[in-house]
Order: sequence, then C-alpha cells, then structure tokens
Amino acid sequence: MSEKFSRRDFLKLAGVGAATTAVLTGCGPASRYVKREPYMQMPEYNYNGQSTYYATTCRECAAGCGLIVRTVQGRAIKTEGNVNNPLNLGKTCARGQATLHGLYNPDRVMDPLKRNSRGGESTEVMDWEAAIQVVADALKNNKPEEIAFLMGMAPDHLFDLATDFANATGINAPVRFGALGMFEARATLSKASENLFGEASLPFFDVGGAQVVFSFGANFLETWLSPVSYTRGFASLRESKTKQRGTFVQFESRMSQTGGKADEWIPLRPGSEALVALAIGRLASESRGGPMPRAFSSVDPLEAASKSGIKLETLEHLAEMFAGSNNALAIPGGAALGQSNGLAVAEAVLALNAISDNFGKPGGVYFSALAPNQAEYQGPASAKEMVELIQKMFDGKIKVLFVHGVNPLFELPTSLEFGGASKYVSQIISFATFPDETVREADYVFPDHHGLESWGYQRVTTGSAQPVLSGAQPVVSPYYNTRATADVLIAAAQLAGGIFAEALPFKDEVEFLQSKAASLMNAADGSISAADINTFMAYFQQHGGYWKLSDARGIPNAVDVLNRNFSAEEAQFEGEGEFFFVPFVSPTLAEAGANKPWLQELPDPTTTVMWNTWVEMNPETAHELGIENDDVVKIISEAGELEVPVYVYPAIRPDTIAMPFGQGHTAYGRYAEQRGVNPADLLGQHFNEAGDLAFAGMKVKIEKTGKKQPLSRLESMMGVYGIGLGEE
Amino acid sequence: MAEKKNHAEHAHGEEHLRKKHLMLDPLPRGQMNAMVMESMHTTSWKFWAVFGLLAAITAYGLFYSWGVMIAEGLGVAGVNRPAYWGIFLVNTVFWIGISHAGTFISAILRVFKAEFRRPFTRAAELMTTFGLVQAGFSIFMHMGRVWLSYWLMPYPNQRMLWPNLHSPLSWDLLAITTYLLSSTMYLFLPLIPDVAMARDRSTGWRKTFYKILALGFRGTEGEWTHLRNAMNIFAWAIIPVMFSVHTIVSWDFAAATRPGWNSTIFGPYFVVGALHSGMGAVIMVLAIVRGTMKNMKYFIRPEHFEAIGKLMLIISMTWAYFFFNDYMVQWYGGDKWTKQLLHFHEAGPMGWMWFVMLIFNVAIPWAVLWNRKWRSTPWIVFTVGLLINVGMWFERYIIIPISLSINRMPFTWRLYQPGIEIPLGIGTLAFFILLYMAASRLIPLIPVWEVQEGQMAHELKKYGRETVVTVSELE
Amino acid sequence: MDIKISEVKLSEEQAGKWGLVIDQDICTGCQACVAACAMENNLSFVGEEDSGYGRSMHWIRIERFWEGEYPEVKMTPNQPMMCQQCGSAPCEPVCPVFATVHSEAEQLNLQVYNRCVGTRYCANNCPYQVRSFNWRDYERPEPLPNQLNPDVTVRRRGVMEKCTFCIQRIHQAQDQAKAEGREVVDGEFTTACAQACPASAIIFGRVDDPESLVSQLGRRSHGVKHLEELGTLPNVTYFKGG
Repeated sequence: MSEKFSRRDFLKLAGVGAATTAVLTGCGPASRYVKREPYMQMPEYNYNGQSTYYATTCRECAAGCGLIVRTVQGRAIKTEGNVNNPLNLGKTCARGQATLHGLYNPDRVMDPLKRNSRGGESTEVMDWEAAIQVVADALKNNKPEEIAFLMGMAPDHLFDLATDFANATGINAPVRFGALGMFEARATLSKASENLFGEASLPFFDVGGAQVVFSFGANFLETWLSPVSYTRGFASLRESKTKQRGTFVQFESRMSQTGGKADEWIPLRPGSEALVALAIGRLASESRGGPMPRAFSSVDPLEAASKSGIKLETLEHLAEMFAGSNNALAIPGGAALGQSNGLAVAEAVLALNAISDNFGKPGGVYFSALAPNQAEYQGPASAKEMVELIQKMFDGKIKVLFVHGVNPLFELPTSLEFGGASKYVSQIISFATFPDETVREADYVFPDHHGLESWGYQRVTTGSAQPVLSGAQPVVSPYYNTRATADVLIAAAQLAGGIFAEALPFKDEVEFLQSKAASLMNAADGSISAADINTFMAYFQQHGGYWKLSDARGIPNAVDVLNRNFSAEEAQFEGEGEFFFVPFVSPTLAEAGANKPWLQELPDPTTTVMWNTWVEMNPETAHELGIENDDVVKIISEAGELEVPVYVYPAIRPDTIAMPFGQGHTAYGRYAEQRGVNPADLLGQHFNEAGDLAFAGMKVKIEKTGKKQPLSRLESMMGVYGIGLGEE
Repeated sequence: MAEKKNHAEHAHGEEHLRKKHLMLDPLPRGQMNAMVMESMHTTSWKFWAVFGLLAAITAYGLFYSWGVMIAEGLGVAGVNRPAYWGIFLVNTVFWIGISHAGTFISAILRVFKAEFRRPFTRAAELMTTFGLVQAGFSIFMHMGRVWLSYWLMPYPNQRMLWPNLHSPLSWDLLAITTYLLSSTMYLFLPLIPDVAMARDRSTGWRKTFYKILALGFRGTEGEWTHLRNAMNIFAWAIIPVMFSVHTIVSWDFAAATRPGWNSTIFGPYFVVGALHSGMGAVIMVLAIVRGTMKNMKYFIRPEHFEAIGKLMLIISMTWAYFFFNDYMVQWYGGDKWTKQLLHFHEAGPMGWMWFVMLIFNVAIPWAVLWNRKWRSTPWIVFTVGLLINVGMWFERYIIIPISLSINRMPFTWRLYQPGIEIPLGIGTLAFFILLYMAASRLIPLIPVWEVQEGQMAHELKKYGRETVVTVSELE
Repeated sequence: MDIKISEVKLSEEQAGKWGLVIDQDICTGCQACVAACAMENNLSFVGEEDSGYGRSMHWIRIERFWEGEYPEVKMTPNQPMMCQQCGSAPCEPVCPVFATVHSEAEQLNLQVYNRCVGTRYCANNCPYQVRSFNWRDYERPEPLPNQLNPDVTVRRRGVMEKCTFCIQRIHQAQDQAKAEGREVVDGEFTTACAQACPASAIIFGRVDDPESLVSQLGRRSHGVKHLEELGTLPNVTYFKGG
C-alpha cells in the first residue's frame, strides 16, 4: 500500500468490500505470525461496524461445502454459502448455519487435558509442551505397527498428513469412519459400482437433469452424500418454467423427509427393494418392446408384487412411467442398502438405469468427479473394516490409538464393542474439540481448533461436476487454548526425531498445506493459478479453494449391465420380533449436531419434534397395541433395548418402526447430554456383502412401559392430526 | 294457597308489613346511628383471623408471585402461542364485571327511585371501587414489561411519543380510568353525611380520620342541596360511563380479527354479563354482611334478597338471550374457523366448562329464582350468586384462552395451561375481600341517612280496612 | 379460502415494496432457512419444555400437514410461514404504544422492541400467528453471545418480535447504494432465509419493480396469498404445486 492511499480511500474500499461480500485473504486473525502494529493502523477487521468476510469450508459433514463467514471485530457472526464454490453455489444446510454454535459452544475442550482414569470426570490441565511430549513418547516408545490413527471423514488434509506419516514410518494406515458414511452405505455404492462398471467409484446421480426419478431409499434431501447439492438438483427436477416438471417416486418403508417430497410414495416391504427394482425393469422393458434383457428375465412381477406389498397395477404404472421417459433415473440409497442384500439392491437399482441408458448423460448416472489432488476414490471404512480394527485392539496389537474427528463410542453400534476393545489399548489420545463419549474414555485429549479456526482443505467426493478442493482457513483466532492437530503431530514427530522427523519435514500445518497444493499451482484448467506458492495459497484461501473449470465426472462403462444376472433375493432380517426396525439419520442433527442448541431447537422436518428422540409407528399399529402419542415403549432387539416415546406417524408401514439417529449422548456438552436415546444401541453385528452395516436389517419387539413422556413438537396435534379437538 | 297467604298477611296487618319492610320499620335516628357505629366497632377475633389469613394470601399470591413474574418474565405463567392472553385478562374482565353491580344498584336504581336499594347502595359501590382495583392489578400483571406501563398514558415527553388511540387497549385504559375516578367520587359523595355522623360519635384517630373525610359537613340545608345536586349529576352521568366501560372491554375482542371474537353483539352481551356476575357478587356480599356483622339483620332483610333475586332472574334471561343471539349468528355464518371454534367450545377438552357455564348462568338461576321463598332465603341466593360468578368466570375463560387456542393457522393450535396465574388470581380475590373487610371497619357500610330519608318518606295509612303504603316525594 | 391473484394486482393495487415468493413445490423442509434466520437475527433458543409449549422463537416455521391415510398418505407441500409484511396489517392498529408500526419508507411492519410493553395484542390479532414473544430472558451462556449479530437488537423478556425481512440487510444495501450514488440492484442482497435455502425455494426482492425476479415469478398464474380475504394485503406469494 503506497503512502498516497488515504484513510478515506481505505474506508471506501473497505465499504465496497463489505457490501459486495468481497472475500479478503487470510491476513486477519488467520495470520500465521503475529505482527505488532501501532494502534493507529488498525487492520480492517477492527473498524467499528465493518464486517470482514472469509472463505472457508464447512466441517459439519464431509461434503465440503464452501462457506463465507462474516466476522465483525474478530468474532464470527454468520455463515453463508460460498457462491463461487461449484459444490454448493452459495447455499448451506441448517447444520452449516449452526456451525457457529459449535465454535462458541460453552462446553468445548478448552485446554489439553490428561484424564486421571478412563471414564472418570477428573482431569488435569496440561501445557502444550507436555502434550507434545506425550505424543512424541507415544510414537517413540511403541512399535510403529502398534500405533493407529482413527479419523473422521473430514478434514482431508489431516488425513493426508496422517497417511503420509504412516506410509513413511510404517505405522498403521489411518482408518476413517463416520456414522454418516455408515448410514449412507458408501462402501456398498462403490462396491456395486465396481461390480457393474468395473470401477470402485462413488456414483453421482444427476437428479436435476432427469425427468423421472425413482429413489429406492435414498434420502438425498437430508444427509445423504451431499445434501445441498442434491437439493439443488431436486429443485431443478421440479422446475417447470423452462421444461416439464419432473416426477419423483420414492420407495421406502417409512416416509423420510425426501419421501415427503415425492409425487408418489411407495411403501414397500423392507428387503424387497431388489425384487421390485428388477420387476420394474422387466415391466419397463416389456413396455419398451424388444428382447427381454437377461438382467430382468428371471424375475416374476406377480411375485414381486406379492412379496413387496405393492399392487401389480402400481408396479405396471410405475414401469410405464419409467419406460416412457428418456430421462429416467433410479437411485439406490439409505436404508435399502443397509440390509443383508444391500449390495444386490444397489446393483439391481443401478441396472434399472440401463433401460433409459442414461450413463454419463444429463439426468443420468455418473462417477463423481475426483477432487483435483485425488488419484482415485477412497471411501471411509465400512463397518466391517471397523470390526477388523476393533479386533486388532482386542488382540492387543494396538498400543496407541490417536482419534480425531470421529466419536466411535457414539457413532458405532454398541454391539461392535469399540468400548470393550479400547480397554486393551494402553494409550488413547483424542484430538477432539468437544468432550464427547470417546474423549471420556481417552487418556488424553489434545483439542484441535474448531473447523472455523482451522487451516485445511476438504476434497469434494461427490455433488459437483467439477473437481473441487475446498479450502479452509481460520476465520477467527482460536478462542480457547487449542492447537491444530497437524501442528501437534508435526511438533511431536520433530521431537521424536528419526524417521518420524523425516516423515513430516514441515515447520507447521501451513507449510504442509503448501506442499500439498504446490502441484496445483500451475495446473491447467484451474480456477486459480499463480507463479509462487505464497500467492497461490493466498488465492486459495481467498476463493475458498481450488477447482477445475470443466466437467470431470466419469462415465460408467455399462455395456454389460443388462446381460448380467441379478439377485432378486429378499433381505434376511436378524432378531426376533414383529417389527422391521429402520434407524435413520436425523436430518437436522446428523451424527454430531446434538451439541448445538439451535440445531436441537430446529423441528425435525417430518415430525417437527425438537430436543428429543422418538419412535415412529403407524396409527393402525399403535391403535392395535393400545399405544398413543407420547407413550414410552421399550424396544427390544437382539443387541439391546431402550425406552423411547412414540410418535404416531401416518406414513410408515404398519410392520415397521423407525427412529432417528443423532441423540442419546452420555457426554458431548450440556445441550446433548442425557437427551433422547441412541438407536445404534439396538443394532447387531450384521453386514451386507459390501461390508456395510445392515443397520436396517433387524427385527425388534415392542413392549409398553406405561410411562408417558411428552415430545416437544412445533406442530399442533389438534390442528394437524385433529387430536384433542373433540368428537365430530 | 296464595289466597290463604294474603289472608294471613291481612291478619297480621300493619305489624307484618313493618317487620317485612325496612322502610316501614323506622327506629329513632340516634339508635340507628348507634347501631351502625356499633357494627363498625364490634370486631371479633374471627375477623382478625380471617383478615390475617387473607393478608397472607395477598402477600404471597399477589405481591410475591407478581414479583417473581416480573423478575422471571411471563414464562412462569401459562400463556403461549396461540393463547397469548390468559387468566390475567379473564380476571380483568371478571373484576370489571363485578364492579358494574355497584353502579347499577346505586345509580340506575337511584335514578329510577327503586326504594329497596337504600340499605345496600354503599355495599355495592364499594364493590365497584375495589373490583376495579383488582381489574387494574390483573391488567398490569398481564403486561410483558409492566415497569413501562406508564407509556400507555398520554404524557408530555421530549420524543413526542403518544399512545396509539386506534388501539382498543388505549380506549380501555381511558374508559377504566374514567370509571374508577367517577365511581370513587360517586362512592364518596353519599358517604359524606355518614362520615359526618361517625365523626360526631368518635374519638381519637377515628375522629381525625372522619373529620378529614367529612369535609366539614354539618348538615345545613345548603349543604344538603349541594350534595343532592352533585349526587344527582353523578348518578345520571355514571350510567353511560358504566355502559361504555364494558362495551369497550368487549371491543378488545370484538374489534380483533379472531374467529369467535369478531361479533357485533359483544358490547351489550358483555354489559349484561357484567351485571349478571355483579348482581351475583352483591348478593353474596349482602348475605355475608348480614350474617357476620352486628345489627345488620335490621338493615338487610329478606325483602332485599327477594328484590335482587328478581333482578338476577331477569338479567339471567337477558344474558341467555344475548348468548343465544351471538351463538346463532356465528354458527349460521358458517365460517369454517368459527364453526371449528364453536365445536371446540362444546366438544373440546375443556367442553365441560361450556356446559357448566350454561348450567350455572341459566339453568340454576331459572330453576331457583322464580320461587319467592327461595329467593328470599339468604343462603340459597348466596349459592346461586356464587354459581353465577363461577359460570361467568368460565364464560370469560371460554372467550379468552379457549377461543385463542383455535385460529386460522391450524399448525399453531395449542391448549392453554395456567401457571402462576392461579396464585395471582387468588391473590386478587383475597385482596378484594381484604379491602372490603378493612372498609367495613372504617366506613359505615349502611348509608344511614339514606335509610332514614326513606323511612321518613314512607308511611302506612289506613283507608277503611285496607292498610296502604304511601311514599312522599322528597326534595 | 385462498384466492388467486391476477397479474395486475401484485404490482399495482398493492403498495408493497419488498416481498417474498415461496415455491412450496421445491421446498424440502430442510430447516436451513430457520437456522439461518436464527443466526442472523439473534433468536433465542428456549429449550425442550418451552418449545413444546408453543413458545419457540422461530421467526419462520415450516408447516406441513397430511393428506389421506396410509398407504395413500401424502405430506402436503412444505409451507414456510413468516411475517407476511401485510400492506394492511391487523397487528398495527391494536398496539396501544405504537410499538408495531408501518414503515412508509420500506412498506414493512416494524416492531420497535424498545417501545414494546408486552400487551401481546398484536400477536392475538395476527391471522398468520407469526409473532413470537419473549416469555423469559432465555439463557445464552458464554461464549455463545460472541456470535450475536451486532446489527440486530437482542431482545429481552416481555417484548414481542417477528420476522423483519432482514431489515438490517435492506438498510445496509440501501446505504451502500446511496453512498455510491445508485439504486439498489435486484438480487444485490437477500434475506438470510432466501440466501441459505439450498433449493432456492425462497426468493426475495422488490414487488413494486415489475422487472425484479420476485415480480416476474409472482406473475405466474397459480400464486396464492394466504388469508388474503381478510384484506391484509400480504407481501408473500406462495406457489403450492408444480
């Protein structure tokens, strides 16, 4: 800045910046080095009334939506979507909005802590030197193969750092897990893709370009894969000004928020999805004429109708609809994949797309574009892979477990016994920002910054046509005595010396990020480019990431799909009981939202319940059992039992009950603790062929308890259900 | 049988008439004055026990609970969305209703020269003033930020802010304030000769107290003329004020857009409702005063209960007429939300209240008050008056929180469950009785001069075998 | 009950200035608008008990009903309800202290928090039931207040509040445009709910400018305004079906 640049000019410029939501580079609180300035030369974020906007990446789920955070005088005030980020184009979901309640939550871990005994309340505050010494000792004093990283699905930069570290030192490759990935059945999707198209990739479904969409359990408007992007797709499916309004049919046993938007909602019998998909394939092929593809030839529509509980006429009419459109799309997802035959369902539904041959075409099935610095799709660990890790822990093969970004004691079903296995691990070090269940069982917690205080990047795995690497930068200076986990690992590695120091030859996290981004600096087709890394990183932070300008979605090779044989077997259900049990992820809380008060106060989109867990039950079933709204029932599965109040839900099969996942914390701050129950406690150790948890593959029993617990609803039971208005 | 009774009356003749009618049963003035003074001064330990209990209830129910509510916010009450108004406004309307009886009895009956009014005009007027005090408490409790309630008053301020005179609440405030001031003055004017009498028969602090209240009244012809003129003016002027007050209260509801409220008949319906509960309250007060205070059996006789009972019967009929009229037109109008609301009134979770209201306000008064003997029996009319008051309170409860549960946005319908309103409501009731009890020790509850004036005007004359009551016009 | 509006009515008969157009067909009910509104406008959260008793402070709520019975059951299109910023608002005349007033400049219903004495008459008289009252001083433990938007007053107990169409954003945009000697451009800024909405089901803009996006969308024939028969002249247009 030259001397001629007057204060007046500066104010003008700052004003322009604020109004046009111009994005400023990470020179404010994000600054790596403290530079003392005289008070007369205040940085722009210190002017009264002036807002400063920083681009970063949302960490509430792994989708990687770009955010613009408005800050005023060093405080983060509001998150908005980053208009430039190709994934979310300026939009956010409710969780992205409430991320500030995580940042400024009163219950965060404020200092590095040593826990005096696992599970106990008493802790000692440590200083960071001691903490880094603990990590260094853990690295040095154990064999590399006895050290393991368990990481969440975000952020990717830390995963990359841990992977590089593991590769160089021989410690176990980091395992990534997240309950969202489990409920999305990501492993099943990529396995089906591998089986059908020869490539283990995450399929992307172009809902927006389609004319007819059949979704088999995919809750793509809620938490599935990339909800903001899929919601945008849904909006353009329904758009009717420039084209004909698209039709959307949902097949599921319990009406989800997504199913609530369907033009036709088909409550099929759980487990019959593959059969129904193939039957529709057969009927649609018949309606289109020509030879019957081998894929559908063996299925009997009449049998499908009787086993699924869908009328044959309905199947015919749906097949007609599917066959009649050149832009028909079928999506497998959600509870349909979380069954013993989940892989078969995914394959059968993907095969349906072959009828309209939409692979790699607008309105069809693609492979998700890989992120710019990504060679191949890497999914998180399936539940089965988690069991392998847990087995290793049981066997005492793991002495040190580093946990970051995931809360296995809450997110994993109790029956997988992570808690039991952790007792055989001599040292558990958590890097959580929040005192969750796993922190309580860890020996140390060395808190990472909140996502909005952190550097980093997140690869966009699906949802955008362009390859996107969303960039994160601190939008405020750390509020508590926390430290970036990457910095802790780097410092500890240096302290441990030897191969460890060589594995992470960086001064700090920022230098690591620069090393990772260097290859993109002058790559072709990029959204930004620069001659030197500092400039490039400044652009990277300023724009909220780096993305390619052209569509890079893969085209599935679907030549043989219709000539394959598909299994129409129904799913096996485990446990004794008369009710199919469908757990679903709470659309507003997801797996880690329960600690944010405003997320708790958001009404659930389907039931409008706030602050609690409920079980959904068909009115007819409830009537037969003599159960009313708010009656507490005991649900008993082979794996466990829990008590939960009933929400009499008009859109669920009479033989099915459903429960949201997201509450039932025993730790995790004042807003989450002792609130609701966790349906994962009911899930047994059952998997589908792809290794994903068969979370919807259980049958359960219900017992009345005689207790009542009123649920907080936004809706009026009188106005919506006519309950309590008096007899007509 | 009636004939037989008449015959019996003839047999007793004059003696019987005197026993029956206060106006025909004069006592020497000095003795009567002494009786009234004695009634004020005879205070048993029971009085103080009740007084202490009520004071405790008032302190807890009214002042402590209110303090809690001011400190915590209205969340401690039961109001919610959509029932933004609850028992506070029910009580406000209820107490304003109670206050109507005083004016009705002392002004309307005075103007129409109904002679039976004489012994209990003061008792009724006291109800007006004290009832309005409770109404004021209730309406201030209802406010979210009561400490700023003076903003409702037009007062000069540098920001030139002015209350919104479009709002029925502003009209309310003006009407209730006018009514409180005028009814207090109207209570005071007829009191002057009586406190002058009390002054002349007291010593100590009481003498000082009465001396101040009596404004130097000595009973000269000129003073009486002025007093009569003033009372006459007030008696006429306060009648329209009384009608306007409850009409305006009804406009709080009738002028709103809510289904069930937006009714043109609410004005007179509310006025009649107010008289209904007011008369019920008067008769309860008279029964208690007669039963508990010394010498009162002389002043308050079955004839008075009988006369008020008749009025109550007529008012009950009028109320039933207005109720039916309102219901009929609303129901026939066929508006979807109104019909839903009417159905909710009868069949909703609080439907029992609707039926109890009709039984207490209509069925029981009609069944009991037609019988002269029953309506002359103090405990029977006391019970009827109590039931009418319960019924009328329920009527306001149905109109306010229950009707608010139903609106045009079914997604928001919700029931109202009272919270701290209950101790607060009981507190206002206790405070009302407390004020009344205190007043009964301090000012003559019986307007002695008015009774004496009436007795002077009444005379029994014999024409042949017939004994006839004659009344001469005073003034 | 819902009356169709003709093309002419929207721009000419009504004196409105700012308005919303809401496409219920694409609203997924995801609550992003509700969360965005809460964050932008410093709404208090009230906890489980009060929120279940009709005391939640949402300025925008998403209504949904059910049609039919299982298995032919359907969720009615999600209906976001917020202050309709009526041209002739029933809440306004009933306030005894002028705490809820009509803004001539913005054609909005203003709620003047520091003038409000809490009679709650406005909320009773609002046919849309979109006003929320501060029943208590709801706790917001440290350091949560760091997030509070400095452009929006934090309300205390006893005060009524409601959707303002993010008037702080309107003023900021107007001030900016004025400083630059120009008019506010359509789409230059938007309300928090519209900005967050992943489906873009909520569109905000000038209804008195026939060229604006809201006006163009509003002219589609099947828009409805809620309870228009009451003469409230609401400024929010809803599209129910496709």
